[in-house]
Amino acid sequence: MSGATQTNLGTVKERAGLALNNDFLRKAVKFTTERLRTGKEKAAADHGNWDEWRERGRQIRLHTIAHLDYYLNLFVENARANGVHIHFAETAAEAVEISLAIAKQVEARTVVKSKSMVTEELHLNHALESIDVEAIETDLGEYIIQLAGEAPSHIIIPAIHKNRYQIAELLSADAGETLAPDTQILAGFVRRKLREKFLEADIGMTGCNFAIAETGSMVLFENEGNARMVSTVPKTQITLMGMERIIPSFEDLEVMATLLPRSATGQKLTVYMSGISGPRREVDADGPDEMHIIIVDNGRSLQLGDPEFQELLNCIRCGACLNACPVYRHIGGHAYGGTYSGPIGAVLTPALKKNIAEWDDIANASSLCGACYEACPVKIPLHEMLVYLRRRKLEAGRGDKLEAIGMKGFAAVMKNSKRFGAVLKIGKLGQKLVVRDGGIRSKIGPLKGWNSYRVTPSLPSESFREKWPTMEQEIRHGLQEMDPAVKSRMEAIVRERQSGGNGGKGNGGHGHHG
Amino acid sequence: MATAVKETGDTGIMANKEARQQWLAEQTAKSKEKQVSFINSISSKLGRARPTAAPAHPFRGAPDFWREFEWPIDERAEKFMENFRAVGGHSLRLGSMEEAKQFIVDKAAEMSAKYIIRQNQPELAEMDLEFALSEAKVSVWNSDPEEQWKARAAEADFGVVVVDHAAAYTGSLTVLSSKDKGRSVSLLPTVLMAIIPIERLRTRLGEVLVEFDRAGREQLPAGIHFISGPSRSADIENDLTIGVHGPGVVYAIIVG
Amino acid sequence: MKVSLFITCLSDALYPRVGEAMVRLLARYGVQVEFPKVQTCCGQPAFNSGYWKEARETASTILEAFEDCDFVISPSGSCTGMIHHYPKLFEHDPVMLEKAIKLQQKSYEFTQFLVQVLGITDVGAAFPHKVTYHPSCHGSRLLGVKEEPLLLMEQVKGMELVPLPFANDCCGFGGTFAVKMSDISGAMVTEKADHVLETEAEVLVGLDLACLMNIAGNLRYRDKPVRVMHLAELLYEGVKGA
Repeated sequence: MSGATQTNLGTVKERAGLALNNDFLRKAVKFTTERLRTGKEKAAADHGNWDEWRERGRQIRLHTIAHLDYYLNLFVENARANGVHIHFAETAAEAVEISLAIAKQVEARTVVKSKSMVTEELHLNHALESIDVEAIETDLGEYIIQLAGEAPSHIIIPAIHKNRYQIAELLSADAGETLAPDTQILAGFVRRKLREKFLEADIGMTGCNFAIAETGSMVLFENEGNARMVSTVPKTQITLMGMERIIPSFEDLEVMATLLPRSATGQKLTVYMSGISGPRREVDADGPDEMHIIIVDNGRSLQLGDPEFQELLNCIRCGACLNACPVYRHIGGHAYGGTYSGPIGAVLTPALKKNIAEWDDIANASSLCGACYEACPVKIPLHEMLVYLRRRKLEAGRGDKLEAIGMKGFAAVMKNSKRFGAVLKIGKLGQKLVVRDGGIRSKIGPLKGWNSYRVTPSLPSESFREKWPTMEQEIRHGLQEMDPAVKSRMEAIVRERQSGGNGGKGNGGHGHHG
Repeated sequence: MATAVKETGDTGIMANKEARQQWLAEQTAKSKEKQVSFINSISSKLGRARPTAAPAHPFRGAPDFWREFEWPIDERAEKFMENFRAVGGHSLRLGSMEEAKQFIVDKAAEMSAKYIIRQNQPELAEMDLEFALSEAKVSVWNSDPEEQWKARAAEADFGVVVVDHAAAYTGSLTVLSSKDKGRSVSLLPTVLMAIIPIERLRTRLGEVLVEFDRAGREQLPAGIHFISGPSRSADIENDLTIGVHGPGVVYAIIVG
Repeated sequence: MKVSLFITCLSDALYPRVGEAMVRLLARYGVQVEFPKVQTCCGQPAFNSGYWKEARETASTILEAFEDCDFVISPSGSCTGMIHHYPKLFEHDPVMLEKAIKLQQKSYEFTQFLVQVLGITDVGAAFPHKVTYHPSCHGSRLLGVKEEPLLLMEQVKGMELVPLPFANDCCGFGGTFAVKMSDISGAMVTEKADHVLETEAEVLVGLDLACLMNIAGNLRYRDKPVRVMHLAELLYEGVKGA
């Protein structure tokens, strides 16, 4: 059931085609991403100095990942000292095997889960069911898609592709009575239904937003209280944690707590932020008797030491890039085909899967507009990474042959201005066959996709380079005297540039590759 | 006969327990072994030897300009209440614990609260809600080793706690777990009544967080929970629905 | 002071009037613009598709063309932005890398040059029309050109500038993306054009010809009579008319 309904189509293009023809989905995704995006922008503006906070967040993540061996080891030692049983899983299969072994040991019949993208990576629910352990998603959105038999289509709003009416239908079927499409009523039903499940479950399973190295604590951000439930009520707690979730200290957590909720939903802080440092103490009357943390690699370490992709590990899973992405808005999350969707998914999925051919095409599902980078609270240059992925695919010899011929032809023409000029002349002759009324509407050959939505302009009678000699004469003739103030301004800029400054250029941009 | 069965049962559980302890010990040994290769593999991918000392961390915590920011106490209280209300919580400031007690008693009457659970804190003992709320059943967390405390919290209409810290800028209160302070008390009841002695109210979240670094691992409780309003969900059309799994009604009462 | 024009292949081939407006407008301030003919294309289509060898071959024409000038100006934030990628593109070639860094430092998008270098915000133009502005992604996000066009447009007499809803959203061009993922791109440009139509503006203005060609193409496909112009054209037309 884990996403099988979404991934039976081969390519991003095919899956996107499905999504583009699904008006319900497009409207639901558009509506909610716009809401999230506006909320984030407002929260960032209200807080102020947003770029300084982003930069601080980036520096903390860069520093931690650059010393991940030190900090992860420190975390492990401290968590163990807190009484946590630590496990290491290099692969998804190992992580599943460990989880199942614990479930068997405690003779578990039910597992209540709070939201965890790592368990989605592992398809853990499916594995638990295979040994007759019922896995119940308790996050409202996850519960909804579990009922629908689907995979999450958004990192923080798993059921973003469904509107309240569709959700009411699903929950009504579950309830055996008709529930009104009112969020309050729907959430109320899930509260009652899951309350029992929390109280009788044998295992509580969680993800991990951050793990604090210096104290061995794991931190969870959530709004509903279900993560607190699963880490307070059942006797055994299992936490699945990506190996890169580490930050050094609680002080550093302040920066993450400033960036994550604002970027995710526009909140100042999620309703609950919990720092859990081990199982219940001997004298405590609640909290788990036994706590396990499974530290998962599953492709993450492949990014370490890779200068073009190491920064991927800085991601704090806020989903802001999805909400900002114009492609995501039109096609939703399932079209990406992997556990992670949107811009982060387009880069992370191939990266975690060793860039195998199967995931080549999702890097193409981007116009490289950079909205993801602008939205990212830790400034991951996803738009640049997408280009690196495209390049690596070619380097691995998996390019499209026709495209390669086209690009060779492009370079052959463009590396020589005379050839470029000649091609323009030929083009002017050639286009006579297809130009009508100053435009080209033909839907054949390479123009088919483009011209299904647009009219292509025709080449004018003269190119700029053809016009230039006459133009230059005219301009020289009528040239004005330059204002001395402007002249000295220009000279100052050149001098400053030569002395190593940036020549008075504005500093708002980015795109400087690391 | 009944006794015999019970004894066999106990032996069974004991044997089971021993087997589990042995399994856990094996897992720990395996984990420690794997730790070496796992961490060394990170070092080798990073292209250097494994560091033996803590690396210099020049960007620790919030930017410098932020650390200087502090509201005067009255403004702090105002901002806390404003933020707490903005997310659907209730908040008020009262002059004394006596007034807070009266407030809780009145609310309990108004909402017909039948079951109340409170933390085993001296401030609350002094309030003597047990006496004032004679109509309701008031339980004191972990005051009897035989009791099913999670069940008591789950059935409660009100959970009453005195918070350990609060931060005005985010409108958050912080509760720490201990023998006398259950995590369930702020989680399972329908209504949460949280008392904030004003001297525990800070401006920034970081002022609270840094205390945990200062205290160090050995001093930390199992559960540290920041609570910023009633339980809610953004999962249906990002419409912030109030009251999913945690308390849907939360009163934050600043005292002093 | 030598100022050279980086015309960009698109303006050269399809929109020579934009380059012309730029040089004629600058001549009014005594800026004599040179046009080095060896230039062709910045190489972005190849670079973005992963064909870096081909991108280097093309980019070499740009590095050669502008080696000896003091300022390079271009009617495109995207192509100027591509020059900012050159140091990465040539990171393994020390000689070219040095040239790339020098070129990056002296390259300006048209409005950047007017406002930051020449210090001009009022060109003395009048343009009595209702106009909306699409800030292209690469110019505004990669280069940080956000204020400059607004400062220039504020000074145009008689012009009513109406805000474009969701202005910062990509128009869906994205180079080869528009061909490879034509349906997604089509949905994006349709939405962008819808927003333009919502403003009821007579003119859509922008700073990047690729995006403008994309949106104009969709508007024309739908027979919507919105005039689409580069800001250089608008300013020059406004100066001639004033």
